[in-house]
Amino acid sequence: MLYIIGKKIIEMTQMLKGIVNLFFGVFYWVVVGPFKSKTAHREDISSQMLFVGVKSVVIVFAVTVFTGMVLAMQMAYLLQKMGSILYVASLVSVSLCRELSPVLTALVVAGKSGSAIAAELGTMKVSEQIEALEVMAINPVRFLAVPRFLALLFMLPCLTVLGDFFGILGGYVVGVGSLGISHDLYLQTSFKYLELKDIYTGIIKAFAFGVIIALVACYEGLNTKGGAKGVGNATTKSVVESFILIILADCVLTAIFYFSNY
Amino acid sequence: MNEKNQVMISLKNVVKTFDGRLITDDISLDIYRGEIFVVMGCSGSGKSTLLRLMNGSIQPDSGDIYIKGKNIIGMSQNELDELRKSFGMCFQYSALLDSLTVEENILLPLKEHTNMSQDIMNIIARMKLSLVGMGGFENYFPAELSGGMRKRVALARAIALDPEIIFYDEPTSGLDPVVGAATDALIKDLSDKLKITSIVITHNMQSVFKIADRVAMLYDGKLIEVGTPEEIRNSSNEYVRQFISGDSQGPINTASPGTQMDFFKKVF
Repeated sequence: MLYIIGKKIIEMTQMLKGIVNLFFGVFYWVVVGPFKSKTAHREDISSQMLFVGVKSVVIVFAVTVFTGMVLAMQMAYLLQKMGSILYVASLVSVSLCRELSPVLTALVVAGKSGSAIAAELGTMKVSEQIEALEVMAINPVRFLAVPRFLALLFMLPCLTVLGDFFGILGGYVVGVGSLGISHDLYLQTSFKYLELKDIYTGIIKAFAFGVIIALVACYEGLNTKGGAKGVGNATTKSVVESFILIILADCVLTAIFYFSNY
Repeated sequence: MNEKNQVMISLKNVVKTFDGRLITDDISLDIYRGEIFVVMGCSGSGKSTLLRLMNGSIQPDSGDIYIKGKNIIGMSQNELDELRKSFGMCFQYSALLDSLTVEENILLPLKEHTNMSQDIMNIIARMKLSLVGMGGFENYFPAELSGGMRKRVALARAIALDPEIIFYDEPTSGLDPVVGAATDALIKDLSDKLKITSIVITHNMQSVFKIADRVAMLYDGKLIEVGTPEEIRNSSNEYVRQFISGDSQGPINTASPGTQMDFFKKVF
């Protein structure tokens, strides 16, 4: 038992060390690379942005719009008892922008794009494509990890802002369509208590989640061992580790914002 | 010194183990400029590991590896990358980037390591593809090609930067005899015309005697014989003779039917 726990701790430490090393590698190529005229290819960055961003809009819409609706109904259940059903709008908008939209969007993207990145890089690893890049003196971190990192770093906040909008729309549909709140009043109440800091704390979280998803997916992909089973393991590990780290980072960031009055 | 006798690759007492298992056992070897050096041996004898040691993909436990007079052991990544620009490598399963077209695969090393204009790079890519008989397949993806075609594209990629050294890992395995012979002819042609030093890993005895300038036989991680094809053909070493003749009876340790029966008896 002790042996298994010890082994798991060693594995986890190695994984975290590997992720930190990958972060420094990516950071080097993003910051120092351009001065050495060695950067990631622009077309790779834009194709990754298309994949992780534009192609995730529909699924983010589906998740956040229904979450907004569910949130409105659950809040209505409680607020009806207090006679303040109007505040459904504020609760939906604030809780979505501060918490639910960044986290749900990140979980959706980790499941959809993070797993695809880990599987793609893992397949490249087991079919010697990564080794081929190294033998051609092409750094795999610069060539493969940097475009994916930048795409997630910029597209996850964009998707989060869209998620905020879609979620508020979901709440609006329930509030106006079912709870009998007027159109104008719903929108006015939605934005009355929603401050700019509620939106940008959500966006800061999205940046952090983008970094986590990209690093975990690239790390697991680039360190895949074995054949098809190894690729499967890397994909699963990438999703599980991303989910855990996203929730952990969310807790830490929320605590920081809360205790510093943000 | 005669250019032909200039040492391109030199291994000095190279030892490599994986999980305590000895893969290459104290190997010392010199490979000269422009020669086709074939390494043959049974599966699992350490041939591919030897190739990976030479191209710097893995580091030995002990010993030194000199490429063009520079020791690659302990070399910085930048220095190794600079040296690698003079390498080409043909992988056993081609290792083409499957998200790129055939032409983009050839263009990749050119874009990364040269400042040529796009038009010039396109011309070079098409020229290299024509050289390996793959002209007209520029816009295909690797998944749309047969194994033999992929190997030829991999060879075109390997020669894209006009390398001085090309490593071939089983270049003719899985190919039909005609395409295999054409690949052999291409390797020979590249070596003769462009003076490329070629290190070829193969099991294919026909290839060995057709293309090799010198042959080495690897058995159980040890280099048991090095010589010209003629010397290898007339070798008195029992292992070499068995390997060349492809006989199942001899000193080379294979799982005989008797051993398999013992295994089944133990299991069931």
